[in-house]
Amino acid sequence: MAEQNNTPVATEKIKKMLERKKDKTKLSLRMCAHCTLCAESCFLFMTRGKDPKYMPSYKFINSIGKLYKKKGEVDRATLEEIGDIVWNDCVLCTRCYCPLGIDIPDMIALARSICRTQGVYRQYDK
Amino acid sequence: MYDLVRGPLLWVSFIVFVLGTVFQIIKFMKLSKKIDVPKFIPASRSKPIATSPGFMLKFEMFKAAGIGTNLLMAVVTTVFHVCLFAIPIFLVGHSVLFDQSWGINMMPFLFSENTTDTLTIIFLACSLYFLLRRLLSARVRAITTSYDYVVLLIAAAPFLTGFFAYHQIFNYNTIIILHILFGELMLVTIPFTKLVHMVFFFINRFFVASENCLGEGNRTW
Repeated sequence: MAEQNNTPVATEKIKKMLERKKDKTKLSLRMCAHCTLCAESCFLFMTRGKDPKYMPSYKFINSIGKLYKKKGEVDRATLEEIGDIVWNDCVLCTRCYCPLGIDIPDMIALARSICRTQGVYRQYDK
Repeated sequence: MYDLVRGPLLWVSFIVFVLGTVFQIIKFMKLSKKIDVPKFIPASRSKPIATSPGFMLKFEMFKAAGIGTNLLMAVVTTVFHVCLFAIPIFLVGHSVLFDQSWGINMMPFLFSENTTDTLTIIFLACSLYFLLRRLLSARVRAITTSYDYVVLLIAAAPFLTGFFAYHQIFNYNTIIILHILFGELMLVTIPFTKLVHMVFFFINRFFVASENCLGEGNRTW
């Protein structure tokens, strides 16, 4: 089993990373009409009982969306939740389809990069 | 009050709408970059073979993307958005205002009053479908916030008040002012709220490189 990570979250580092893609993140979150038409393009959604948590929009809103809205001020528990979404609920196959053209994979990749800097990453031994 | 909302406020909302839309397009251009779309020219031909999918393949993709997976939603959303544009532009009452203000005579293209009335009812029914979908569908509820209801209200309110005004339901003078105000509110909010998807729908369909692109598609995020 992986050990529980108790290192404090380096919010300044997260803020810097968010800042680099601030415009795109802001625009992507604004563009999302919450239509859920992206759902069927995710093979995990289709093969795991159509659970809404596998919708690309859900994953993007609850990962990078959450980090952006909280301006990077997140605690370890929230970061672990985000990590669970971006590492376990998405394989970053980049096949998600958004009718409005949001670059969801790039947003998930950004959330992954942020998580990685804070020691939150895919744990294969879990 | 009527003169204010029909005059200066209308101009303000038009200007905000146009400048806001231009601002978003510039933002897209800054955030995206041009890419070379590969073209394959065999020795035996002088013109490149299309590297983008043909019509039938595009149709298949279209089916996979929307029609095939969410037929009802695809139909409702198409009807809703076509009505959203067509009703205000081809309405007899509005054309009188276009004629009075700018001398634009749209007579040959206008819908009859009965047609626009029916289309408005269809539009409102589509709005109701969206509302019920937000309230009842688990997957939509999973990502719905109060903001989504406000956006739906902004889109539907001008049509609802327009319907009331046409049928003289409630006090006409109040309703017509509300109708104009809601219309202006929609114009102003398009570039700065979730309604910005109006701009990006077209950008995505015609400029962003992907298999669902209908245009040249030579830009990427």
